[in-house]
Amino acid sequence: MAVVATRAPRTVTASGSVRVRKTTDATATIVLWIMASSIIVLLAAFIVYMVYLGWTALTPSFIFGRPQETTAGGGVGPEIFNSFYILILTLLFTIPIAVSAGIYLQEYALPGTFRNIVQFSAESLATVPSIVMGLFGLLIFVYTFHWGYTALGGALTLTLLNLPALVRVTQEALASIPDTLREASMGLGGTKWQTITRVVLPSAIGRLTTGVVLIAGRIYGETAALIFTAGLSVTANHPYDISPFHTAETLAVHLWYTHSESVVPDVDRIGNGSALVLLIMVLAFNVAARIVGRRLTKHFTGRTS
Amino acid sequence: MISMQEPPIAAETTEDKLVAKGVDVYYGAFHAIKDASLAMRGQHVTALIGPSGCGKSTFLRALNRMHDLTPGARVDGCIMLDGEDIYGPDADPVVIRHRIGMVFQRPNPFPKTIYENVVYGPRIHGERSKSTLDAIAERALKQAALWEEVKDRLQRSALDLSGGQQQRLCIARAVALNPEVILMDEPASALDPIATSKIEDLIGQLTDDYTVVIVTHSMQQAARISDFTAFFHLGEIVEVGPTSQIFTHPKEKRTEDYITGRFG
Repeated sequence: MAVVATRAPRTVTASGSVRVRKTTDATATIVLWIMASSIIVLLAAFIVYMVYLGWTALTPSFIFGRPQETTAGGGVGPEIFNSFYILILTLLFTIPIAVSAGIYLQEYALPGTFRNIVQFSAESLATVPSIVMGLFGLLIFVYTFHWGYTALGGALTLTLLNLPALVRVTQEALASIPDTLREASMGLGGTKWQTITRVVLPSAIGRLTTGVVLIAGRIYGETAALIFTAGLSVTANHPYDISPFHTAETLAVHLWYTHSESVVPDVDRIGNGSALVLLIMVLAFNVAARIVGRRLTKHFTGRTS
Repeated sequence: MISMQEPPIAAETTEDKLVAKGVDVYYGAFHAIKDASLAMRGQHVTALIGPSGCGKSTFLRALNRMHDLTPGARVDGCIMLDGEDIYGPDADPVVIRHRIGMVFQRPNPFPKTIYENVVYGPRIHGERSKSTLDAIAERALKQAALWEEVKDRLQRSALDLSGGQQQRLCIARAVALNPEVILMDEPASALDPIATSKIEDLIGQLTDDYTVVIVTHSMQQAARISDFTAFFHLGEIVEVGPTSQIFTHPKEKRTEDYITGRFG
């Protein structure tokens, strides 16, 4: 068109400053890519190394057998069971309390003294080292309640340890749900409770699942708090004892114990095998929880992602 | 200024669905709405217009007690729905919001399926029968002119719809409860012109069954779709009357200045 023709032609060759900017951009992209990839490489190297060290130990007699005190050839069957058992017990206590507290703090509590006290308590609890929490559990559950070393005492101690994190996760998951959805529900005559249970929580289920996966990893790996509460041995009468009042050494505790205290000759084999089993359990739980989370999300929202 | 005793469309009070008398709204110490009185005629569209911050949305939200949800907000005066004060001691906000539905400025479908969005209202009010819910969903989606577009994908996420479709879904969600009044807070302001004109056509059809009160910042929109217009300025209702009269022969100087584009 005539109008365009009268305009001075714009130069299309890159000037110096443009070239510098392009170089900076490309460099940044490469650096960030390398940083991100190195995480994957580290994780992969870590897994490969652990599999290399531990895979020969993974025999049926190791996975299902009982541990030995002094002789070689001990297994970790009861420890695998105990790790899972204590995880389930802990989640059974933690999720209802933490999610309820999170809902209260985020949806009901008005800014004020009570909310500040609850918030402060939760944050203080979060800063308590796990070894101190273990000693607290020892005093309360082992000595005061005369339970001795029990799965229940261990699970309750881990509940105290993990409550603050899950309260926080719940609060943040709820805070991420826009108020316009709450308004929409209330505008249709929904009560506050209906709004929370039918709109807010289902929308937050993905983030809540992530939070549960993270604390589950911590529960699997926890040692300090369990040494004093769930004990260092497995129950004598039955390897898969479902009574919450049995002594319940977990896999992570067993790993620590064999390496530092035990006198069995095949320490390395048991250590490497235990570490690999622990890794597989954490990854398996992670994958399973994500599948459940995705199913729930799909169920509530009709979306796959 | 409109007096408290005489709602503006007093001559036809028998047809007035919703009547506000001497309504004041406060946010903390801020006096957002000052002694506003307005009668909204049944099965007609009443438009609330005025410059930004004039209080038109605040007034609209007072009409189904949405301010109950805002900490620090307070509403005085009375708002009669078929002669009953919705702020009276026996009034239940849950029942009121069932009878007076609301459509918001930005489409806010729940992150659920299209179907679950539409039947949300009936469900929370206790409807369990699958066949009844199916029938409600179909009726509501047809009334919102969305049925043809979504009937084959009711189980898909509502978030996959376009903005205009989402807003019609929100209208369907409101009409699913068979409310008597539908309040709309700038329902087309986040939409493109084609989606806007669909919503406007829809509003015209809704008056077959419902009373519509709509806030709009677009005077053209008010002129196109409404039967009555109330002009808000600085928290007061300056003038109210049949839309054609407000836009052609405004009585108040401020109304005339606003609609001729001298401010706002």
